[in-house]
Amino acid sequence: MNKQIIRFPKDGQASLAVNEWQVWDGEGDEGALLQSPNQEHGFNKVLVPFHWWCSHYNADHKNTDIMERVKQGEIGVWFAADDDILKHAEIIEAGKALWPVVAAHFPIFRDGRSFSTAALLRQRFYWDNEVRAIGDVLIDQLLQGARVGFDAFELRPDQDLAIGLQQFDLFSVTTQNSWRGKRTLLEA
Amino acid sequence: MYKYDAIDQTLVDQRVAQFRDQVARRMNGTLAEEEFRPLRLQNGLYHQRHAYMLRVAIPYGLLSAKQLRTLALIAEKYDRGYGHFTTRQNIQFNWIELEQTPDILAELAKVEMHAIQTSGNCIRNITSDAFAGVAGDEYIDPRPVCELLRQWSTLHPEFAHLPRKFKFAINGAKEDRTVLLCHDVGIELKKNTKGELVADIYAGGGMGRTPILGQLIKQDLSWQLLPSYLTALLRVYNRFGRRDNLYKARIKILVKALGPEEFARQVEGEWAHIKNGDDNFTQAEWDRVAKHFTKPAYKQLSSLSQQQIIAGAPESERSAFTRWLERNVKPHQVPGYASVILSLKPHGTVAPGDAMVAQMNAIADLSDQYSFGELRVTHEQNLVLADVEQSKLLALWQAAKQQHVALPNIGLLTDIIACPGGDFCSLANAKSLPIAKAIQERFDNLDYLFDLGDISLNISGCINSCGHHHVGNIGVLGVDKDGEEWYQITLGGEQGNHAAIGKVIGPSFYADEIPDVITKVINTYVEHRTDDESFIDSYRRIGVAPFKEAAYKNAKKKDRAEDKTESAASSS
Repeated sequence: MNKQIIRFPKDGQASLAVNEWQVWDGEGDEGALLQSPNQEHGFNKVLVPFHWWCSHYNADHKNTDIMERVKQGEIGVWFAADDDILKHAEIIEAGKALWPVVAAHFPIFRDGRSFSTAALLRQRFYWDNEVRAIGDVLIDQLLQGARVGFDAFELRPDQDLAIGLQQFDLFSVTTQNSWRGKRTLLEA
Repeated sequence: MYKYDAIDQTLVDQRVAQFRDQVARRMNGTLAEEEFRPLRLQNGLYHQRHAYMLRVAIPYGLLSAKQLRTLALIAEKYDRGYGHFTTRQNIQFNWIELEQTPDILAELAKVEMHAIQTSGNCIRNITSDAFAGVAGDEYIDPRPVCELLRQWSTLHPEFAHLPRKFKFAINGAKEDRTVLLCHDVGIELKKNTKGELVADIYAGGGMGRTPILGQLIKQDLSWQLLPSYLTALLRVYNRFGRRDNLYKARIKILVKALGPEEFARQVEGEWAHIKNGDDNFTQAEWDRVAKHFTKPAYKQLSSLSQQQIIAGAPESERSAFTRWLERNVKPHQVPGYASVILSLKPHGTVAPGDAMVAQMNAIADLSDQYSFGELRVTHEQNLVLADVEQSKLLALWQAAKQQHVALPNIGLLTDIIACPGGDFCSLANAKSLPIAKAIQERFDNLDYLFDLGDISLNISGCINSCGHHHVGNIGVLGVDKDGEEWYQITLGGEQGNHAAIGKVIGPSFYADEIPDVITKVINTYVEHRTDDESFIDSYRRIGVAPFKEAAYKNAKKKDRAEDKTESAASSS
């Protein structure tokens, strides 16, 4: 788990920030994530797996402890690469009012499914809050991620964050639209 | 021909800088090979059997004289004096040093070239008709659409890590010269009843281990809507294409598993949300690009008859010149002009598609002298001078002979398509080039080749099928059995409007049997053909049985064991 993330707001500059969000893999003791925040490591908020949310947070099954954390803005969800977010549109729409952060996971850096997930979150769901890249996130995929819709990156811990920060300025032109902006056109 | 604007130039220059940094990090050890691999592949750099191989894009096959001279310079300065033109309108250099690649890419950027997306699991170099804009049977010049889509697909972020490679081909002529149906996406351009430019979209074609012809999934799509439709198509593939098995990751497997109707329905479902967005092309963009594809300054000439063209040749050269006119010269849209194919298939002396530095420079000069300084690369691995005055054909033929690129074997048995095979490629199971050489040497008789007429013979060194063996009338596939190189023969493949996947005739042969086997197949054709019947027509009429019987008659080392699964990964 990386103590720092790169944050790159849509119309802003890339910078380092403290990582406040712990990614819970959905395995093991559910109680663990409800315990008092792990202040020691600076993590006090938890990203839970989307599939876990779907099965634990609905009309029939509302865990009151979790609800309290949600109210505090301490719970977000992360999408696995094989989550079909379009099949759960209602839950995601409702999540806009609940989750300060959502994340999409890269099981391996060269698996591009979460690029489409991020693009759909921005394009289809008009997701305005943070969309974070988690998992096997490497500096050489940052630019692609930033263009499809990610605005925060928890890099794999061995990655050089200083080089990572430089990645967003490599290109001053683009030849297709993206979440960040339209394709470059020549002045008339 | 398209000329880069400031945007294109900035992009390739910055891409060179990006790659220079990635190479530096690889060299100093901070970037692991496993993580560098997709980065270098997306810049056309493979690690091959002996060295790095760099594949440079020749987008939709168009090349200027200046660019060809730069390719020659790269071959001379950074490689071993030659380049290899591939079946997908690229050129490959086989002896590259990793640390020199940023400098090579910088040389390429100076002449508006790059190696972006010539490999890797992304949208590859877009291919098209080598005779675009000049072909007599063309109804739409595909080049503006090719260029617009080249730009749209270049460094596309969402589709940078697809399940597998993704190849587009675009055709706008009556006869398909792009192997359209063997591409992940084939775009057939046409005019609708109102005279508007529209596209039919075929998806899920491909060669490789599971050869399948593409299926029509969308008709009459306005050209402006191509970006949003292709985004929808690629998004469905990116999200649902298989990633658990390398051999089942191409879009053809997804289209087959879902069925073309269901796949098309899913694409439509996605497209409905984005079809009216601002991803689509505008008329202003068309105008910006299309202005580069206007007709060159053709002279007002009248068409010459074959007799008139031949009349200028000395008596002693007439029959040879006539042969060249028949095989290597193609009709042109404009009276008094013709298109000329320079054969990169000499008999047995160099690998199919190879050109030496001196040849590249000389051919660049020929293009300046005879064809407005432009060339085309065909997927059959030959070069084309597209705009030659008929009255200059004789002079061009004489000059081309000096460069050994005037062999009149276009479309004949020795115009072999072949991948570099096991001599270079680390994926190959077997060598391709010695097989091509042996066949060319066996059939080194132009009279006989002419008598045989149109026959395509394609050789791949492994099931990745870079040599397009599936669509050769005769296909030769290298396979590995217990560490030995064997060759499987397929018959009945065809490219073009009657595209077909060849059928395997039976167990494989040893390398040294192949010339005999091909001879037996050819003899069977000669025995059974009716007047003027081509090889493929004879095959279709009489079926595989007589060919098969002949091929295995007295075969000395026939192998009865079942062909082992070939190992393969990524290519072409």
